[in-house]
Amino acid sequence: MDNSLLVSLSHQLASYRAMDVIANNIANASTPGFKREAAKFEEYVTMMRPAEGQTGLQAVSFVKDAGVMRDTGQGNIEQTGATYDVAIAGPGYFAVQTPTGLRYTRDGHFSLDNNGNLVTSQGLQVQGDGGAITITPNDGEISIAPDGTISSVVNGIGNQLAKLKVVEFPSPSTLVKQGANLYSTTQTPTTSTNVNLRQGALEASNVQPVIEISHMIEVMRAYEATASLSKSQEDLMRQAIDKLGQMPS
Amino acid sequence: MRALSIASTGMLAQQTNVEVIANNLANMNTTGFKQQRAEFADLLYQNIQTPGSQTSDQGTYAPNGIQLGAGVRTASVYRVTTQGDLKSTGNPYDVAIQGAGFFRVQQADGTDAYTRSGNFSLSPQGQLVTQDGLVIQPGIAIPQNTIGVTINAQGQVNATVAGSTTAQTVGQLELTRFPNEGGLNAIGNNLYLETPGSGSPQAGVPGSTGYGTIQQGFLETSNVNSVDEITALITAQRAYEMNSKVVSAADQMLQAAARLGS
Repeated sequence: MDNSLLVSLSHQLASYRAMDVIANNIANASTPGFKREAAKFEEYVTMMRPAEGQTGLQAVSFVKDAGVMRDTGQGNIEQTGATYDVAIAGPGYFAVQTPTGLRYTRDGHFSLDNNGNLVTSQGLQVQGDGGAITITPNDGEISIAPDGTISSVVNGIGNQLAKLKVVEFPSPSTLVKQGANLYSTTQTPTTSTNVNLRQGALEASNVQPVIEISHMIEVMRAYEATASLSKSQEDLMRQAIDKLGQMPS
Repeated sequence: MRALSIASTGMLAQQTNVEVIANNLANMNTTGFKQQRAEFADLLYQNIQTPGSQTSDQGTYAPNGIQLGAGVRTASVYRVTTQGDLKSTGNPYDVAIQGAGFFRVQQADGTDAYTRSGNFSLSPQGQLVTQDGLVIQPGIAIPQNTIGVTINAQGQVNATVAGSTTAQTVGQLELTRFPNEGGLNAIGNNLYLETPGSGSPQAGVPGSTGYGTIQQGFLETSNVNSVDEITALITAQRAYEMNSKVVSAADQMLQAAARLGS
């Protein structure tokens, strides 16, 4: 079999993958705490037998998925005005308790559940320094300090209620995405010492639409170019069969 | 090709976003209305290669892995329960809550509903009712021949009857609060119902710890900020357009694939 068709095919499959990643970025352009991703490819070199006039094995390169790289850069901080919306400026993740263990998120849209526990929009309990954080209506106006301290003032007396737990990891890019804005990991989290939180705001996704759209056009054009290459390879083969198949009369 | 379905989840999400914004703008002048926001979350990922998986027996690890997303979904549409501005109306039966709490009203079927819309009126029987005729709980009856009604910050309703110089106390407004106001079920007509998510109602006197105070002659406006909403609308519209661009790009790629065999 002619390798050129297979090389084109490997590029076309890679383009599909790249397109899927771009589509997911654009679809999540409004997802709080979402981090954009980019598909990375690498060369896969194999040896083929020499063509006529060549000596020795010839190298041929296919395209292969190397990974999907996550850009963990900071997203914009968008004001929402909601009391329990918290954005992380800088590194770090909130810890939330799920039935299958601790998960981590940068989506700081929290609310209270029927027992007054601070929960995510899936109802998962947000972890403070001492486990779940409970806020009762008697606590009045809640303020969340940049270091995560949750406090309130009742009748002129301030009291500290809890402190949001913000953790960091040695290798943030290997956190596994779980969907629902959650990450899981086997790494041991360390509590952040230099936390910078903003109350009443959410971290927007760091997807930059202009960049995504230009990547998309790039991928689409490269795909079309490869498709026309495959087409000409196919024509070449068809012609060869036609010509060679003509029996001398 | 996944890009087609991923982009369609993005379009659906932005559609929800625009609907929420449209409802906020439509209710800009609704008394006691609370602004809503749509929140999104990414869908499940397909792990082709899990990040951090071992790539050799020498202890090298993939720093990134290959995780393919499937798009986006609406995680919640939540209410921002901040205080709205108070607007002076001069009507003695208009009351605004400054702070936390809801008025409790009895619906036609006898069950309780809650509202922050304090534009009350009197029923033919002299009872304090909402604009839909639902009776405020506990019931407050204003005597006939009343020439003046005052409601103080603690919710005490005093009426002065013609021929009398002193006001008499005719009732006490109560406020109800919930552990989680965001969990209340909005049923329209400015009414909310208790749900398992909101927690049980706790009644109290206005002005006591954790409860708001009452302002007579004022109404609480909606907390919708038109500039914010219009900005959000533009962002949502652009995001929708971009997702539709992805659909057409994916379509072109599939067309190119289909032309191969011709």
